Amino acid sequence: MADVESPKHESVLDTGAEQLGKTYAQALIAAAEKTGTTDKVIGQLRQVVDDFLGGSPQLTAAFNSPRIDGDEKSRVIDRVFGGDFDPVLVKFLKVMAVRGRLGYVSAVRDAAENLYDEQMGRAVAIIRTALPLDDALRSQISQKLGSVLNKDVRLKEEVDPDLIGGMVVRVGDTVFDNSVANRLNTMARKTRDGFSSQLLQKFDQLISEK
Amino acid sequence: MKFSSDEIASVLQQEIEQFDSKIDVREVGTVLEVSDGIARVYGLSGVMAGEMVEFPNGAIGLAFNLEENSVGIIILGDYLTIQEGDEVKALGTLLSVPAGDAVIGRVLDPLGKPLDGKGPVQTDVSRAVEIIATGVAERQPVTEPMQTGIKAIDAMTPIGRGQRELIIGDRKTGKTAIAIDAILNQKGKGVKCFYVAIGQKDSAVATVVETLRKYGAMEYTTVIAAGASAPAPLQYVAPYAGTAMAEHFMFNGGHALVVYDDLSKQATAYRQMSLLMRRPPGREAYPGDVFYCHSRLLERSSKLSDALGGGSITSLPIIETLEGEVSAYIPTNVISITDGQIYVQPDLFFAGVRPAMNAGISVSRVGGAAQVKAMKKVSGGLRLDLAAFRALEAFAQLGTDLDDATQSQLDRGYRMVELLKQPQYQPLSVGEQILSIYAGTKGFLDDVEIKSVQQWESDFLQFARDKHAGLLEDLNTKGDLSDEVVEKIESCINDFKAGYKPAEA
Repeated sequence: MADVESPKHESVLDTGAEQLGKTYAQALIAAAEKTGTTDKVIGQLRQVVDDFLGGSPQLTAAFNSPRIDGDEKSRVIDRVFGGDFDPVLVKFLKVMAVRGRLGYVSAVRDAAENLYDEQMGRAVAIIRTALPLDDALRSQISQKLGSVLNKDVRLKEEVDPDLIGGMVVRVGDTVFDNSVANRLNTMARKTRDGFSSQLLQKFDQLISEK
Repeated sequence: MKFSSDEIASVLQQEIEQFDSKIDVREVGTVLEVSDGIARVYGLSGVMAGEMVEFPNGAIGLAFNLEENSVGIIILGDYLTIQEGDEVKALGTLLSVPAGDAVIGRVLDPLGKPLDGKGPVQTDVSRAVEIIATGVAERQPVTEPMQTGIKAIDAMTPIGRGQRELIIGDRKTGKTAIAIDAILNQKGKGVKCFYVAIGQKDSAVATVVETLRKYGAMEYTTVIAAGASAPAPLQYVAPYAGTAMAEHFMFNGGHALVVYDDLSKQATAYRQMSLLMRRPPGREAYPGDVFYCHSRLLERSSKLSDALGGGSITSLPIIETLEGEVSAYIPTNVISITDGQIYVQPDLFFAGVRPAMNAGISVSRVGGAAQVKAMKKVSGGLRLDLAAFRALEAFAQLGTDLDDATQSQLDRGYRMVELLKQPQYQPLSVGEQILSIYAGTKGFLDDVEIKSVQQWESDFLQFARDKHAGLLEDLNTKGDLSDEVVEKIESCINDFKAGYKPAEA
């Protein structure tokens, strides 16, 4: 079987998967809250998706495959995750296996992180800079953002040399753009517009009869 | 001629000095997919329905569908260079277009960008493209005439300022010609005209612009063009944009005339967008709200109350029918929205009756209220007489012998049909129209050969203009038909007939 093609872009949106992920994530968080291990469960879920599934295409293929039945998948889950992982998470994975939804674990992970962040009053800020951040700047940014947004801010960093300088912060769908590239672009546009209107108004002054 | 670089540099320097940099805060989304004129965007969680968004290539879009996981955007511009993954920025405002005196005499696209090579529209005035029409309390009844300069229309289906009169008919029957004549006739009457061309060949639009320019009508006219090659979203917003520009004049106490040529193509563009957005199709695959699409547009044509300045927008929507099928979905919709319709027919058109208006089924629901008194008196039973004549004519074709009364009614009818023919681009003033129709209905034409009626009329009107200018002036300004005026008219006609010898063919 060929590898399931991974999305090239974060913009590839499977609305069905998103919906499903949200529903399962709600259930998982509610179950984990009862045992008081939400933090741990979500951390481990992240580990399952990033380390195990991300590191082993065979395991991903097996989880996705409809030809392997739920019981078999449950046995695999017991063998692989049984010992070290929280029982709530292992049970949850088994439920997903029996219901034939194991292919959507990563969607559940995304939704669970978002939901949990929301519950805990945390926000994720994506910081794009031209050069990598150092620790002092990092803590300064998260403190400043935290006080403005009144939330605990988790930073995700990206380096993009095209920005030239400055910083672009994205929280949710809102972007605070103070990069040099953007400022140059705006200045170019404003000057162009202003110049063209000036050109029409005082065309005579700008040309000299010679 | 040489550019003085110092001056240019100083202007640029000023612009740069005035530039102040603020942190750019924006709400963004990511393009998931782009297809013909529409895009689906993930994110933009705070966007409002109808809000403007901007794509990285500078194209403007409108939030059209707000769904649970994504936003459907219609793209008003170039959608071919937009890519999956592009960042879309919400602009936080509704779509608006430039308005005011600066748009007059221009050829613009529905966003107010120039199509005539005369540079951007220089104005500070702009108006929202979509507004809710004025309510009941802000209006007053339509009483003031909006002369089209076409005898048949001004006599039988008069149009008032603030009225919506539909022009409906098959292709190639002279619908646009009627609208253009109406625009030409507004010269010197203080009415601003807007010609909205939707989904037409660009060559046809160029011809219209050239005609308007040739007859001096571009001085008070704006052409808003979304041609057949413009994306469907642009064709869809064109009539709203034209109306928004006209509203500027209406709300400042002026008068405007808007021609929508034609709304069937706008409905088709709207259908395309809706189907691509996966809105459920209804009758003839049009979306369920296509009626609202037209009703909210035409509702914006109104006559404002005196408290609001008494301005008006008169609209002449055009609908093209297929094979005379007026019971199709869009024609019935627009017929029910408008205050009457002018129905033009191909058989009349090809029989040489131009304008090819069918008097029997053309109506104006505002009617006589919007006619000058004299015209009302003169043209009183004209429409019914003409309809009766058509019935009689069909009967007479059976070859039966007719009594004298019937024969004379037929003869009168033939002459009236001849008299109501009118060449293109030659609008007549009210006075001239009254004189012609008076002569016809009172039987002054009964001794004129049918085929020379048109010649007789044009000679007669020339005579009246030369010798009885005072009478025409009276009719045009006072518009009353007192006994004294009637006497003058009759003496004018008799004067003319006494000295008239028809030219030999």
